[in-house]
Amino acid sequence: MKNVIAGASLSPGLASVECSASAGYTTVGIVDYGMGNHASVTHSLRDLGYRVRISKDKAALDAVDVLILPGVGAFPSAMAALHQHGLVTYLQEQSRRQRPIIGICLGMQLLASASYEHEYTVGLDLVPGEVVPFPAKSWHIGWNTLECIQKDPLLQLSDGQAFYFNHSFKYEGPVEYQACVARHPDAFAAVIRRGSVIGLQFHPEKSQIAGKALLKNMIAGLTSEHVKNPC
Amino acid sequence: MLKKRLIGVVTVKNGWAVQSFGYRRYLPLGKPECLVENLDRWGADEILVQAIDRTNGDKGPDFELLDRLARLGLDTPLIYGGGIRSVDDGVRVIQCGADRLTVDALLHDDLTVVRGLANRLGAQAIIASMPLNMRKDKIEWLEYRRKANDTLDDDVMTMISAGVVSEVLVTDWEHEGQPNGFDARLVQDFPLRHVPLIAFGGLSEPEQMIALLKESNLAAVAVGNFLSYREHAIQKYKEALAGMPLRASTYESDFSLLADV
Repeated sequence: MKNVIAGASLSPGLASVECSASAGYTTVGIVDYGMGNHASVTHSLRDLGYRVRISKDKAALDAVDVLILPGVGAFPSAMAALHQHGLVTYLQEQSRRQRPIIGICLGMQLLASASYEHEYTVGLDLVPGEVVPFPAKSWHIGWNTLECIQKDPLLQLSDGQAFYFNHSFKYEGPVEYQACVARHPDAFAAVIRRGSVIGLQFHPEKSQIAGKALLKNMIAGLTSEHVKNPC
Repeated sequence: MLKKRLIGVVTVKNGWAVQSFGYRRYLPLGKPECLVENLDRWGADEILVQAIDRTNGDKGPDFELLDRLARLGLDTPLIYGGGIRSVDDGVRVIQCGADRLTVDALLHDDLTVVRGLANRLGAQAIIASMPLNMRKDKIEWLEYRRKANDTLDDDVMTMISAGVVSEVLVTDWEHEGQPNGFDARLVQDFPLRHVPLIAFGGLSEPEQMIALLKESNLAAVAVGNFLSYREHAIQKYKEALAGMPLRASTYESDFSLLADV
């Protein structure tokens, strides 16, 4: 794996990532429900040393250590695709079993209770809250700084780092589920968390070294927590 | 807060990356994927690949190029432009790994397709690409296929103002490839002040970029020709732009800098 340096000096957060235990035999499963391009996520995970399995087959997804729910497109069609593949009940069951689940971009929004994108659509409801448009139908594109507002060792090392966002809807819900915020100009949820379920509104796979560091911290942390507290 | 961006541009003609001068003269640089890989390694904020020969002859988007770029496993957001004729073309471009796309000929040909792209992919994925120049203190818009200048079209400006596209790529086509050539009036006098702009064409000097980055309607500066022939060009620009609201430069190395512990 490549060594990484942020700015002119080595970031303590990234140094910690580089020096953490080897990725070993951790397998990450990308939930393939037909929405989006998995190439970048797969490449990032493999670059970090993880084995990657892309599947919609429940038996195959049962065998992985961490589930990643990606997504590009609109909320209603993504939920329809999850229903079509019988994955809604499956993901809800995995959440109840405290299996690690990471949602990325639209995948994060799908974790919420519902969305107002195009039409009111019920989501996976793994993290209570709703997905609403930015004011004045604006969008949020580019690199923005993460501010951790909860003490979370999996995320703390990414505080103050910039990540790539590209979206026009955002999560609104209880403050206790909002782990990190970004500002545009008002604060909105950039990372949500409820137990072993984490949602990232930005694209870690397109956020260069900061994204890889965060992915590695989350996967290492979630799998470690799951080993300590098996269902 | 949201940062402004430094975008690296790779212009592709007949499958080869080229240096482009004023939309009329081209010098070959090599394989596009090599240049894109460099921009990814140097920490560009976004990479724009524009295939400029895809609309003439109705070739459609360069999916083979997108496939080769996808295999690189880029860590940097990718914008693609060139040959997009329909909503299906745009959807396939995104499915092939681009994060966003630019449209140029469609702005002249069929605004319903541009609206369809926004409905399907979201306005955040759509950028209007407009080659502009100043003539007698007025902005003119180039129809590059006819090599003809027009005034800014009311229907297009209304559509942009309504938020069907998220940003406008303002290319100073006359000064493209000319050091320190970009005419800042194209940004300062752009009629829609609330629309975020990307400035491109003749941007070579950090002082030029600093002046532009201070404009409230400018979201990004884009550089193409002037990134060539030197290593770590993105980091060097970012270092020279210190103090501007840009993401700090990043460095990545294949050499071991830390002892394994």
